[in-house]
Amino acid sequence: MSIISNALSGSIAAQAALGAASQNIANLQTPGYTRQGVLLTSLGAGVGVRSAGNGVQVSALLRFADDYKTQQMWRAASDLGARTQTQPYLTQLERVMGDNSSSISNGIDGFFTALNAAAVDPTSTPLRQQIITSADAMAQHFNSISNVMNNQLLSVRQQRDAIMPQANTALAGIAALNQTISSSIAAGTNVSALIDARDQLIDGLASQMSISITDQADGSRNISLKTGQPLVIGSIPATMSSNMSSTGEPVLSVKFANASFTLDKVAVGGQLGGLGDFEQNTLQPLIQSVADLAQSLTTKVNAQLQAGQTIGTPGVPGTPGKPLLVYANGKMSIADNYTTADLALANSGGAAGDSGNLQKLIDIKNQSTNVSWVGSVLIGDADTQLVGKLGINSQQNQALQKTASTVRDQAVNDWKATSGVNKDEEAMNLVEFQNMYQANMKVISVANSLFDATLQMMG
Amino acid sequence: MRVATGQYQQLINSSLQQNQDRINQLTLQLASGSRIQLPSDDPIGNVRISRLNREQAMVSQYKDNIATVKVRLLKNENYLSSMVTDMGQARDLLVWASDGSNTTDDLKSMSQSLVAMRDSVLYTANMKDQEGRYMFSGTATDQPAIQYDPNAASGSRYTYIGNTDSQVVVVGNGITQAANVDVKGVQDWLNKIDQVITALNVPGATANDPATHAVIAAGLDGTDDGMDLLSNKIAIFGGAQNILTTLDNNLSNVSLSNNSALNDLQQTDVAAASIDLSGYQLAMQATYKAYAKVGNLSLFDVL
Repeated sequence: MSIISNALSGSIAAQAALGAASQNIANLQTPGYTRQGVLLTSLGAGVGVRSAGNGVQVSALLRFADDYKTQQMWRAASDLGARTQTQPYLTQLERVMGDNSSSISNGIDGFFTALNAAAVDPTSTPLRQQIITSADAMAQHFNSISNVMNNQLLSVRQQRDAIMPQANTALAGIAALNQTISSSIAAGTNVSALIDARDQLIDGLASQMSISITDQADGSRNISLKTGQPLVIGSIPATMSSNMSSTGEPVLSVKFANASFTLDKVAVGGQLGGLGDFEQNTLQPLIQSVADLAQSLTTKVNAQLQAGQTIGTPGVPGTPGKPLLVYANGKMSIADNYTTADLALANSGGAAGDSGNLQKLIDIKNQSTNVSWVGSVLIGDADTQLVGKLGINSQQNQALQKTASTVRDQAVNDWKATSGVNKDEEAMNLVEFQNMYQANMKVISVANSLFDATLQMMG
Repeated sequence: MRVATGQYQQLINSSLQQNQDRINQLTLQLASGSRIQLPSDDPIGNVRISRLNREQAMVSQYKDNIATVKVRLLKNENYLSSMVTDMGQARDLLVWASDGSNTTDDLKSMSQSLVAMRDSVLYTANMKDQEGRYMFSGTATDQPAIQYDPNAASGSRYTYIGNTDSQVVVVGNGITQAANVDVKGVQDWLNKIDQVITALNVPGATANDPATHAVIAAGLDGTDDGMDLLSNKIAIFGGAQNILTTLDNNLSNVSLSNNSALNDLQQTDVAAASIDLSGYQLAMQATYKAYAKVGNLSLFDVL
């Protein structure tokens, strides 16, 4: 009666295949789902020449996955993470610094315009008042830009701190899944869903930092940073943390078992590396440069005022001028209680209406100064050059982001080509395996009628 | 190649995203009229724009300075002219006084008129601006231009105590113009007229007296010198006004060419942007249609 048992094995195999198809269709829109199928093999015949074989068996549930493609996808995620994380900061800086009315250039223009206007009538009180007012406005331009930059610095650090617990949760999750997967494989259970869950966690982690993955024989995946430090080995996760050093610099570190490693803020890659790169190579040099410019302008203007002579009162000769600008703790302001009589627009020893020192003040705009990010520049041109360099950096990041995005899309596409579900394909599977099931049922019915015929002969 | 159902969805999604991104950018460019939304859209162009803006700020300041200097020079010119007028009237009187047929009383009443003219010129020379600063004492604006000492001998009572320094205003790149004028030399005229007034007031004064006649003649010479001095200064103002007008025109031209360069750099090419915009709109519509058609295809529909 091998016909009936053959037909039974066929119908069971068809049911398993229909089961796989139904699971695939159910997960048509599930992110990260890897399609499955059944591997059918025919069972050979026993002893004798009359038996064609003993039916079919489901020798394995297939998981359609290509490790090379998943690795590609994760590598692309790190690059994309680094570029995407930085761009909003760059755009905000550009918008504020590049705006014609809120720019530092505009503030500096205003101050020197007021000086120039005073040259027409250097003893006029309203014109002198305008110098003080526009110096205050210039200070506000400096301060509002430096506020934006300091807020960004704070925000970069907060964002880095916020990534830490996410990454640690992912690492712990991967380690736990490693353990479950290796014990389930040993017990012969289908682990496809567990592997999908673990790959999703790894994908998230890969966008946060550059990682490399090694597969182990027991089904677990070991993860380390591209720079070598271990993150997950088997069922043991590492812990990452971000702390402030004694000098106020943020320090990234990873602790595995009892060993602790300090990480390079930029080389760590992914979103963390992007943040580090922006902080170290754009934001901090820019903050320093604006401070350089503000400091240099303050020093030069004050020194020139002190070298000159105030207007004095009738009968009382003028005195050396008072410093107008104050630059302290990253903030520019004008000196307290500064009045028009404190401005020294005359040359030292000059008459009350002399404007020799005013001409020298006006000339400060054309003096060169050292600004750390762009080198030696004219005071009037420094901000223009800083914004220019910022624009070039941002443009470069946008180009790299575009490339990274294309590479990632391509990698995801490649992965889907192998692992994604195609509903038409599953529709065909449904039809074909349903046919296979019905055919096997027919075989049982044929076997049954053969059996009935034999019994009737007996009757 | 095998294509998963999700790939097609992703393809439609990303092509819609890309089109929308471009349409957003183009709409922003058209709405603002500005080609560059952020410095990174064209970093080099942005640096050029920024530098042109800096130069425009300077040019408009120079133009403001020129306008103000011109007003100040005109004011100075008016005051100097009024001094010249006073001197001209004094000259008429001096010519009349030198005529020997005048009686002592005539000369005395002429001297009264001369006193008025002398004091008027002194008043103008020591003119103050609205803030109480002396206008014609060079840069020594805290003291009067000409000091009067009643105790000194006639002929040396008036002294110029200002200086001859200029208040320089920058009216162009490397071009300066003095905005003030001093009245050094006017004190000589005042002293001479003062001597004439003293001589005419002497009891029994007559122009036939050679000494008196000499004083009047010296007064006439001094008046000619004073009028020459002031007329020369007024002529210089006229020249300066012309130079400033020319300079202002030049700066207007610079400003105009800067503006047109700024427009070229900043403005959206509306024609090109509109064509691009309709191109992307067409692509969007095509994508919608493709999705509506292909997205509906399913083997399940025919089973």
